[in-house]
Amino acid sequence: MHIPDGYLSPAACGVFGLAMVPVWATASRVVKKTLKVRQVPFLAVGAAFSFVIMMFNLPIPGGTTGHATGGVLIAILLGPWAACIAVTVALVIQALLFGDGGITAIGANCFNMAFVLPFTGFYIYKLVGAGSAAGSLRQVIAAGIGAYAGLCAAAACAGIEFGLQPLLFHTANGQALYCPYGLNIAVPVMAGEHLLIFGWFEAVVTALVVKYLIHTQSGLWIEGHTGGSA
Amino acid sequence: MTRVYNRRPDFIARSIMSAAAFVKEATLCEEHARYAGFLQSLDPRAKAITFLALLVTVAFLEQAALIGLVYCACLVLAWASKISPGYFLIRTWVFIPLFTLGIVIPAMFSFVTPGAALAAFDIWGVRFVITRPGFDGAVLLVARVAASVSLAVLLSLTTRHAELLKVLRIFGVPQVFVLTVTMCYRYLYLFATLVENIFTAIRSRVGVMPQRRAGRRVVAWNIANTWSRTTKISEEVYLAMLSRGYTGEPRLLAGFQLRLRDLVWALAVFVWCAGLLYLERR
Repeated sequence: MHIPDGYLSPAACGVFGLAMVPVWATASRVVKKTLKVRQVPFLAVGAAFSFVIMMFNLPIPGGTTGHATGGVLIAILLGPWAACIAVTVALVIQALLFGDGGITAIGANCFNMAFVLPFTGFYIYKLVGAGSAAGSLRQVIAAGIGAYAGLCAAAACAGIEFGLQPLLFHTANGQALYCPYGLNIAVPVMAGEHLLIFGWFEAVVTALVVKYLIHTQSGLWIEGHTGGSA
Repeated sequence: MTRVYNRRPDFIARSIMSAAAFVKEATLCEEHARYAGFLQSLDPRAKAITFLALLVTVAFLEQAALIGLVYCACLVLAWASKISPGYFLIRTWVFIPLFTLGIVIPAMFSFVTPGAALAAFDIWGVRFVITRPGFDGAVLLVARVAASVSLAVLLSLTTRHAELLKVLRIFGVPQVFVLTVTMCYRYLYLFATLVENIFTAIRSRVGVMPQRRAGRRVVAWNIANTWSRTTKISEEVYLAMLSRGYTGEPRLLAGFQLRLRDLVWALAVFVWCAGLLYLERR
């Protein structure tokens, strides 16, 4: 889902970069207000955690591998605004130092993975788990559903961003100037593979991690839920 | 997010260990940034701004030949910066441009991009037609992606990573964000080592990493375990920061110095970018 340089037009990159400015500003403000001074390094280490999650590759039925993105998991653990910053930090480091995701596409990548993914996932998790006791099975299931929905929503956004390129930016003879696949191909492909394969994987991993944390750190789990910056 | 699934039984452990080794190498090595080459001698701020200008220019260019000029300039800059051509080509072409080359192939055909026929052939009685707009669009996309990746890799290879992250300040990124990025970067090495140790411990006790369903469970457990360590490490980091005088307000050391050659380089790049855009519009 990391969009490289060259796939999106400068206009699209600019629009998503500008769209993310108020999100980052609000995230900084909310996190500064809600995160205690001693939790500032927690954010940095949490971003490193987000980066590391993406290293866990697993075989998936069908002959491919996938990795968890962890955006919804971090939103559940730290709150969606803190997750927005943590995932943004991980994406910036990946783009600048590891060449994973484009530098000009940072705005679009952050929109998909640091905004749409954690917020969609977190609020669906809250909705499904509403009224359940902290650490209950319903919260585990809610975390899985949230992760699935968050990832699929982010993938659909990426598909729309790709699909709009040939519609908006092409030459007179129909030559695509950026991503060549229209909405009729890009959206079903991006959404389909995440709805059918990667979303389930993200859901299972997120639910298992939440289950493990509930079992091993019930105190921290409850504290995390009361101290989240949602 | 997808890779070809290797069916060897220790796939999970091998893929995680190799990812951890790559992160460790990338975060620790910075070998090329220490060479006495041309790009290494430039101020990181001047380099970051000019490379961003080049990336934006490449994004605006619609002629593959002009993008090819930028790519050739990347090869010359790599040579002037003492980066071996073989290493640079492997680093830039694997994985993104080759992946792009793979995914644009269907877009060359008439069923995705209609237009004047350039070439046609039959496979099992089915007619495949490569169209002119499809082919030109594919060439343009691959050229743009290759040039962009080359620019990004050059910037990352020839600049010390800590300096590159500090440069974010000149783009108006808030200090607290830059502090978080630089701190996060420092802990990547630690986490990569942590992940390696976890899987070495599992292999030393079990022999082989469990696969499929059990493998997913082990991976989930280890992500959770990494999170537990995260919370402990962050507390230790906070105490270490307190002992060094942290009061809640982040401060970053700047230490950059702009010289005449940086200004000349920046001017030359901006003039070149303007020239490319002029040729594009002519």
